[in-house]
Amino acid sequence: MKKETIIAIFLGLLFGGVVAVFISLKSKDIELSTNKVIAPPKENVLSPNLTGTEIQSLELSEPADNAIFDKSIIRIKGTAVKDSLIVIQSPIKDLVVKNTQGKFDLEFPLALGENSIKIVVYPKEKQFKPQEKFIKVYFIDSEL
Amino acid sequence: MIKNIKNCFIVTLLYFLLTSSIAVAQTPSIEASTSPTVTVDKDIQLLKDKIANKVSEIRKQNNKAISGFVQSIDGSIMKLDSSGEVNQVKFDDTLTKAFRVLGTTKKEIKTSDIKKNDYAIASGVVADNVITANVVLIDENFLVDSGKITEINKDSYNIKVLTSDKNTYSLDIETSTKQHMINIKTLLEETIGFSKLKEGDTVHFVVKKTGSEKDNNYSAVKILIIPQEYFIK
Repeated sequence: MKKETIIAIFLGLLFGGVVAVFISLKSKDIELSTNKVIAPPKENVLSPNLTGTEIQSLELSEPADNAIFDKSIIRIKGTAVKDSLIVIQSPIKDLVVKNTQGKFDLEFPLALGENSIKIVVYPKEKQFKPQEKFIKVYFIDSEL
Repeated sequence: MIKNIKNCFIVTLLYFLLTSSIAVAQTPSIEASTSPTVTVDKDIQLLKDKIANKVSEIRKQNNKAISGFVQSIDGSIMKLDSSGEVNQVKFDDTLTKAFRVLGTTKKEIKTSDIKKNDYAIASGVVADNVITANVVLIDENFLVDSGKITEINKDSYNIKVLTSDKNTYSLDIETSTKQHMINIKTLLEETIGFSKLKEGDTVHFVVKKTGSEKDNNYSAVKILIIPQEYFIK
């Protein structure tokens, strides 16, 4: 084989190798740029303060369970997670409010005798479970 | 003459001094005799009020209310069963008043009118685990709870509800059942029909308990639906 032919074959192989490496690297870059990351968008990623343990729990400051009242309207006071939906239900009244402040102070009517009242808070972040409280209060008319 | 005028002046001066001193002496004596009486009266009234308030406060503190189904009545002692816990209620002939609650009104009854399985609410002072009733009300017992609709039977107008404490209730939706749904935009309640209920919706419900129900099956007094769309919006 002639010397020139050997050089031509060698140069051809060298060029082919360089082209192959270039194409391989380029195709990887294209693959990475076109691939989509399977993860929630940044705005939907929970901030550390929204973990289950740190959510504001439902606290009732008024009324106390088994409290006796001599008036037919009371105030239900407490704290719950901000922007949650509060549902208060008794046999005579359903109350649905958005808790915009975090603290709530709501007027609630009582029926004569025993009043079973269920308070449920639905947090705005739907991944959190609803929080519940159940109380019984009594309205005993002072005239009785 | 001058001497006479001088004497006259001195006598007049003495007279004025004497009368003014009497007046000055008398004024404090009047004050001394009336002012303490008024003060004492006020103090007594204040003390009376304080005692009355304290007595009322203590009575309020000791006043408790209990409720339950009447298990037995033996003379002046009534036993109330509240979910397995039995409480004793004592009637006092001169003190205890009994009423039957009829919606928003009440009708006075005799303690002898109270029967077994009535739902009674007794209020009074507790001593040695016995409540001496001032008032006994005979009323209906309501259960208030919430959960998710897991099953809807459109033939029997019945829904199954699973509560957060894993209780399953079977609720019959009657024509008398008040059915409401929360509008997810306005959060106002809207009257709905049975066809609007969907499996997966959250339901708040009130049922009447008679104590004789089986398999957690109740006739619903009212339901309030929070549609599942509220939680996925």
